[in-house]
Amino acid sequence: MPKIFMPLVINNPQPSQRIVIDPLTRIEGHLRLEAQVENGQVAEAWSAAMMFRGLEIILKGRDPRDAWVFTQRICGV
Amino acid sequence: MRTPFAEKLEQRGVSRRDFLKFCGLMAATLGLPAGSGRALAQSLEAAVRPPIVWLEFQDCTADSESFLREPTLINLLFDSLSLDYHETLMAPSGAQAEKSRLDTIRDYAGQYICVVEGSIPTADGGVYAMIGGRTALSIAQETCSNALATIAVGNCAWDGGIAAAAPNPTGAKGVGGALPGLSPLINLPGCPMNVVNLTATIVYFLANGQWPERDSLGRPRFAYGEEIHEECPRHHHYEAERFVLAWGDQGHRNGWCLFRMGCKGPRTRHNCWQVKWNGGTNWPIGAGHGCIGCAAPNFWDNLSPFYTALTDD
Repeated sequence: MPKIFMPLVINNPQPSQRIVIDPLTRIEGHLRLEAQVENGQVAEAWSAAMMFRGLEIILKGRDPRDAWVFTQRICGV
Repeated sequence: MRTPFAEKLEQRGVSRRDFLKFCGLMAATLGLPAGSGRALAQSLEAAVRPPIVWLEFQDCTADSESFLREPTLINLLFDSLSLDYHETLMAPSGAQAEKSRLDTIRDYAGQYICVVEGSIPTADGGVYAMIGGRTALSIAQETCSNALATIAVGNCAWDGGIAAAAPNPTGAKGVGGALPGLSPLINLPGCPMNVVNLTATIVYFLANGQWPERDSLGRPRFAYGEEIHEECPRHHHYEAERFVLAWGDQGHRNGWCLFRMGCKGPRTRHNCWQVKWNGGTNWPIGAGHGCIGCAAPNFWDNLSPFYTALTDD
């Protein structure tokens, strides 16, 4: 099993703190946000899409006329 | 006489007439005898409404969209059902979102309905769908096993759907495949599922205390009992061999049969010719495109290429 990328929530006392929001709701898809907070300012931030289906791989070798039916399912919103 | 339920509906601007119309639509969808709408209305007024936990995994949110496109149905049923967890709709994020789900599982153990949208990846330890640091599979196990019932909406939650299409890079499975033995499990395939069928399934349960009768693939017979081809309003053109042979030809303009253009109606069981989409506006064949077979098992592989005619019916 591959190693799972999973940064830890560091509960350091102020002034340095790592904030993790996962899942981020009210959006389509599964998004994870992390922010490194230094002295009350966001010093660095990362976002990660937490879901993968591999549609590019699935599309290979198929009838090109079907491509729209597949790619339309990337997002139903 | 005004019941508390009627008052609640009125507060949301839903009249008694709207409610009875809704019950009539539900009765028709469920194939109940004429005139049973009123009895259905009485049972619904008295029914205890369970909370819903709506899980999204490898999905495109189209089933949620299908659900939200019918504001009348939602007003009538789901506002009074409590939607405790739905990633796209709920206010809390992060740890607080997960708390909402866990609170419902704990406080309503065995009493909530779990709706699952999207497939569950099983390859590589489940890393292809992670929520709050947990795999889709572990969340599904925890949430579905404590539910009153699980409803798998859309093809992905049924048989793995598009993510499970060859070569299935993420080992995607439907709920039934990922959690063998889960019961009761009601499958509502379709890409997306039709909200009328989801609503009718829940209405049937609220009125009868049991889930509608299902076929060997776990699909309610009221919605997946008939083949689209047999019920198609263009079927008489098929019988008379009046076929569309090219997009925009005279046959297409005349509304003839789409079989030669690759229509998969002969392989698909679904009631979309009856309930249609977008509030009963239209459906694919009605709009002049063949059925792609989106409610059929593994249709992405079994029924593609979509524009190649079936070799038999």
